[in-house]
Amino acid sequence: MSIEVKDLSFCYNRGTSLEKRALDNVSLSIGKGEFVLIGGEIGSGKSTLVRHFNGILKPQSGSVTVSGMASTDRDVRHKAGLLMQYPQKQLFGRTVFEDVSFGPSNFGIKGDALEQRVADALEQAGLGRDIGSLSPFSLSGGQMRLVALAGVLAMQPEYLILDEPTSGLDPENRSSLLATLKELHLSGISVVVVSHQVCEFLPLADKVILLDNGWVSFNGTPVEYVRSVSSPLPEITLLMKDLIREGFDVRDDILSIDDAFEEIVNALEKRGAGQDE
Amino acid sequence: MNDLFMSFVPGDSVLHRLDPRTKIIGLMLVSFCILDASSFADMFFIALVFTVLVLSCRLPLGHFVRSVRPMLFFFAILFLMQLFFTEGREVWHFSSLSVTYEGLLLGTTITLRFVFLLLFAALITATTSPSRITSGIERLLRPLPLRYVGITSHDMAMMMSLSIYFVPMFYDSFTSLREAQISRGLDIRKEPVKAIFSIVVPLVSGSVRRVEEVALAMESRCYQSTGRSSMHEMKFTGKDHVSFAMFVFLILFLTVL
Repeated sequence: MSIEVKDLSFCYNRGTSLEKRALDNVSLSIGKGEFVLIGGEIGSGKSTLVRHFNGILKPQSGSVTVSGMASTDRDVRHKAGLLMQYPQKQLFGRTVFEDVSFGPSNFGIKGDALEQRVADALEQAGLGRDIGSLSPFSLSGGQMRLVALAGVLAMQPEYLILDEPTSGLDPENRSSLLATLKELHLSGISVVVVSHQVCEFLPLADKVILLDNGWVSFNGTPVEYVRSVSSPLPEITLLMKDLIREGFDVRDDILSIDDAFEEIVNALEKRGAGQDE
Repeated sequence: MNDLFMSFVPGDSVLHRLDPRTKIIGLMLVSFCILDASSFADMFFIALVFTVLVLSCRLPLGHFVRSVRPMLFFFAILFLMQLFFTEGREVWHFSSLSVTYEGLLLGTTITLRFVFLLLFAALITATTSPSRITSGIERLLRPLPLRYVGITSHDMAMMMSLSIYFVPMFYDSFTSLREAQISRGLDIRKEPVKAIFSIVVPLVSGSVRRVEEVALAMESRCYQSTGRSSMHEMKFTGKDHVSFAMFVFLILFLTVL
């Protein structure tokens, strides 16, 4: 079971003088349980692509299926939960509970089951249960974004799709959001992140897909990504490349600070051992 | 993404280069002519003028058709109202409703009037950038004694250009909110009341926030409503004088005819 995209093309304002091709014959597959990172510059078609995953946009040509279900089916929307850009601006409920329960209640969940779902979702998003009775507008920007995340999680999606989840967040909220995403992924949800800042998600990702002007320019693992694409690379990978140039025996496919630390310590020990002899 | 309704299409035709004041006054005069037109000969003449103008500004006719399309429902209602509720010679009847010859005539002319009003307005907005329209209106309003009610023509122009500036923004946030709530399973057709609340609440709160930001930005750049210079210095040229002569001719032609 996976999200399968086949020969998908999409044009905005089709048939007018402002026609713009956003996706051009895109084919890809996102497996169940994967953490997939979709990168590319602004205007490369990333957001257009993920809007197809839950059926907000219908394919003009080609097809999109989610776990075997055509994306035009309304039930796809809770299988593939989409958190849009700046989700804190989309809150409307008088209380956090009302807002988070909006999704599941649209799919006919009521009463105790609904309350349970909201409580679970708030916990998954890293918020306390007692926040439910507050007004979402009394919270900080970072918390509002987590409430919006809980609103999507409450639908218990198989795929959680996030469009630029870290844009406009301060470093602290950013790293806690990354930790939350990691946990969600470990709990079995497939996560799809769309971002033009590929580097910060590389350590978490199983697969990287790059879009360029509406077509897939790269599709592979993070290690393949840092080996094959010249830019942009995480700073830690650049550091390792510099160390290699200086004659250190370290790997060039390091993505996280922890791995880099281990690798550098190993290299230093090896070097120390070499000098002792 | 982009709404094509009444949008500006950059170009370099005579109509594009005409002074915005000439176009605004022209639109007003043409509107009077359209509202005054009652015979099919008049309508034909107006259609002819419109065709000539469209050809001269070298824009596809499709652009103007799109400007009228959102109003089709309104036009249909308008036409049917006239068709059924005008007294006169009966042509055809359907149970208690009857279509009269006069109704048919009146319905057609009234609908055509509105279509032409909209088409000519679309012609102006297609060939004049919003900022030029506002500066034109600002200049036209300047002689009015607005200061006695506490505002200046600059204030009016600023309000207009700000509202024009906010329309696409408002539309953009509306689309993204609708998409967000649809993503969360909202079925607009089934639950219209829920849909209104879930979209309107963040739309209004977001817009108020944005308006405050713009006001602050203007304030911090020392916005003053008086004595501002303009990017578009307006001077009537030969083209404008010729246009005015044509307006006079048009009015005379239609009133005498």
